[in-house]
Amino acid sequence: MPAWILHVARRVLTAATLLLAVGTIVFFLEQAVPGDPAVAILGGTAAHPTKEAVEAVTQAYGFDQPVLVQYLHFLSGLLRLDFGDSYTLKQPVTEVIGTQLGPTLLLTVTALGLAWVLSVTSVLLTAGRRGVWGRIGSAVETIAAGLPQFWLGLVLLLVFAVRLQLFPVLGTGVAGLVLPALTLAIPLAGFLGQVTRDEFEDKLRQPFVLSGRSRGVSEARLRAASVLRHAALPGITLSGWGLGSLISGAVIVEIIFARQGLGQVLVTAVNAQDLPLVIGITFVVALSYVVANLLTDLAYVAVDPRLRTTVRRTA
Amino acid sequence: MTHPAPPRAARSTAGRRRARSSAARRRAAAAALLTLAAPLALAGCGGDSGAELVRTGADTPQRGGTLVYATDREPNCLDPHNNGDMPQTYVARQYLDSLVSLQKDGSVKPWLATSWKISADGKRYDFTLKKGVKFTDGTDFDADAVVANFKQILDPDTQSSTDLLYLTGYFDKATALDSHHVRITLKRPYSPLLPALAQAFFGMESPKAMARGLSANCESPVGTGPFKVVRWNHERDVQLVRNDDYTSPPADAKNQGTAYLDSITWKFLKDNTTRYAALASGEADVIFNVPPESQETAQADPDIELQEFVHSGAPFSLELNTTSSVFADLRVRQAFLHASDAKDAVLSAYNHVFPYAGNAISSGTPRYDKANAEPYPYDEDKANQLLDAAGWTGRDAEGYRTKDGKSLTVRFPYNADSGETPPADVTLFQDIQAMEKRVGIKVQLQAVDSSTLNATREDPSSFDLAATYWNSPTPHVMYIKYSKATFDVDNGQDLAYAYNTALDKVLIKGTATTDAATQQKLYSQAQKLLTDQAWSLSLYPIQTRLGISKDVKGVWIEPSEGEPVLSDAYLIGGKR
Repeated sequence: MPAWILHVARRVLTAATLLLAVGTIVFFLEQAVPGDPAVAILGGTAAHPTKEAVEAVTQAYGFDQPVLVQYLHFLSGLLRLDFGDSYTLKQPVTEVIGTQLGPTLLLTVTALGLAWVLSVTSVLLTAGRRGVWGRIGSAVETIAAGLPQFWLGLVLLLVFAVRLQLFPVLGTGVAGLVLPALTLAIPLAGFLGQVTRDEFEDKLRQPFVLSGRSRGVSEARLRAASVLRHAALPGITLSGWGLGSLISGAVIVEIIFARQGLGQVLVTAVNAQDLPLVIGITFVVALSYVVANLLTDLAYVAVDPRLRTTVRRTA
Repeated sequence: MTHPAPPRAARSTAGRRRARSSAARRRAAAAALLTLAAPLALAGCGGDSGAELVRTGADTPQRGGTLVYATDREPNCLDPHNNGDMPQTYVARQYLDSLVSLQKDGSVKPWLATSWKISADGKRYDFTLKKGVKFTDGTDFDADAVVANFKQILDPDTQSSTDLLYLTGYFDKATALDSHHVRITLKRPYSPLLPALAQAFFGMESPKAMARGLSANCESPVGTGPFKVVRWNHERDVQLVRNDDYTSPPADAKNQGTAYLDSITWKFLKDNTTRYAALASGEADVIFNVPPESQETAQADPDIELQEFVHSGAPFSLELNTTSSVFADLRVRQAFLHASDAKDAVLSAYNHVFPYAGNAISSGTPRYDKANAEPYPYDEDKANQLLDAAGWTGRDAEGYRTKDGKSLTVRFPYNADSGETPPADVTLFQDIQAMEKRVGIKVQLQAVDSSTLNATREDPSSFDLAATYWNSPTPHVMYIKYSKATFDVDNGQDLAYAYNTALDKVLIKGTATTDAATQQKLYSQAQKLLTDQAWSLSLYPIQTRLGISKDVKGVWIEPSEGEPVLSDAYLIGGKR
């Protein structure tokens, strides 16, 4: 029991240190960005704000204070989990993120699920098969992994929404989630499929497969139940990274399918030098990596019983 | 067949989710025609005229329904007094009324102000306000409210950019004379005041709402307009509903009552392909900025109507930085303009969808003088002669001209964000680059992020060319861009970093008169003077280009900022 708590405490501490480091790095990176943030707040140079307006904003936001003072101010806010107000949107960062996080999470988690379904289907059907099927499966995965999302998204949109009209153009509701999620899922499914396939084909050559066959276990059952369980581990590891990258990469899909979400906000925030918002979103993305890795660990234990006993023994 | 359904019913069966593709919509139209043909065939049997019903359906405004309007850019704040970017004024027009309404010829008609008197010295404007007008929060629109609006605009906490550019240097104070009379006192005569006030940037807002502070006011500003803001779903849409107590349409609106539409979903669809696909599939009723690449498809589609409007103001142009060692010389500037072949470059990059605008102000600007429409036609020989005369006679290894061992290089940083610099603009820049190379000028295209671009503007020595435009309802935009006053303010507006005393004089005279003929004379002179200075390479006018579903009628574009007016719009078939 105490060991378990210690384990969690260590995890939380690592995560907190990581987030602090991320916040600090982003803060100083933003300081290094050229251009006056006060001008950016007033709409950038294209808005031609007057000198007086720039001066007023500089004072209001404390841009004229030494960087160290600004950093301490930023840190104290961070400790209170107060990211402040967005420079451009004038709303509390937590509120902005709160409304945008849901749609992004829904999209990315659906995409990850879809990616697993696609890759497992492909692997189960074609991995380790002699002849043309095995090669086709492998080739499809390689191609899928290399598809750029901005291109894939537009193709899916034009084919399935505009021409065939199977799905709406604008991503709302369940029907509207399909194409955006597929856009993210297909390349990821390619990656997952590739690593799972290698492992799968390796495990197919293991003695337990032979013994299963000799006991008369059907080939399909053998593949789906025993081999897949062994072969899924590298894919699960990759999923932790995958979820994080989906969240940070959701922007393209969000723009093409006009979905609400963090990705769009992040791009706008970066362009407008909206430091509080950039930090807030970076935090969420970093946090999602931490959580995803935690979930990966748990999934590992669930899939591989050997790990389960080890954990119990140490506990 | 016993009771033939009028087309209206045929449409309503399709429900709110109308037939999705234009082809499908055409099928729906064919079906409507069939139902129409049925009563005609039965007409002999005493059936009523279906044709009559169809005509009524299209021409008589019908109440009800939600219009989906899809635009490209999302504003940062729904209060247009803050900042002052174009997306703010387009949406604000739907829920804010202005004091006056601008006409194409530069004159104004009554709106929230029913009349006004300008003092002989041009420094005092006395407005009589419409009575019985209420903000949608229930408070009264009166003289105090107008005064409060100017106070809020001038308050640094509002973080205004655009509005201040119209007021600074001219505006002294606004005072309430009585409950429905307000006086604006100016520091000096300023005839562009009325056109400026017509913009939704100067829309009147509820003082009670403004007192909530910028944060709340950005989310849900309150006006007296035909619609009111219900909710802003960031990164998705703004929900607007009809103001059922609307009493203050501008004098030039066709609909003098409340709006026909129940509500508007003001959507943000950044991606060009998606936005056009939404219109073609019927998921959007009106789209802003029909992508130039979709123009041909849209024209060929009988279910889509296109409305195009050329903004008043300074066109999209490349400003020639006169503080740079290259462009300090008038001859080099003229050579650059002659060599650019700007007209062909614009027409080819924009598939002949965008017109070429060579003048310092666009053709949509009051007092535009077409004598300067194409001031520096393509002339390679002339460009070469001018460069020779300017002493750029040497050649480097790559064939570019040199002078005193320095090659003739022009640095042009532009925003790499495709939202700010669409691909066609990049093509345009590359075309110009290729043309300049022919006369030995090396144009360095530098794609940079917005922050870096902002930083270059703070340091004039870091660039030679800068892309810009400035929408403005008045020819006074020439003064806003290139005057000693602007030069001294140094806010990045005067990117040529130049002014001219003669030009200043003419433009100040223009502000001192409201007589159309005198203004025409003065502003024509100004355009000629600007052309002679060769401070900028004008390319194309900023436009409002709407793609409108045939099911929508009554949309028009007002001339001060090209704002789409939806209070006159209605959906054929009404409620859907």
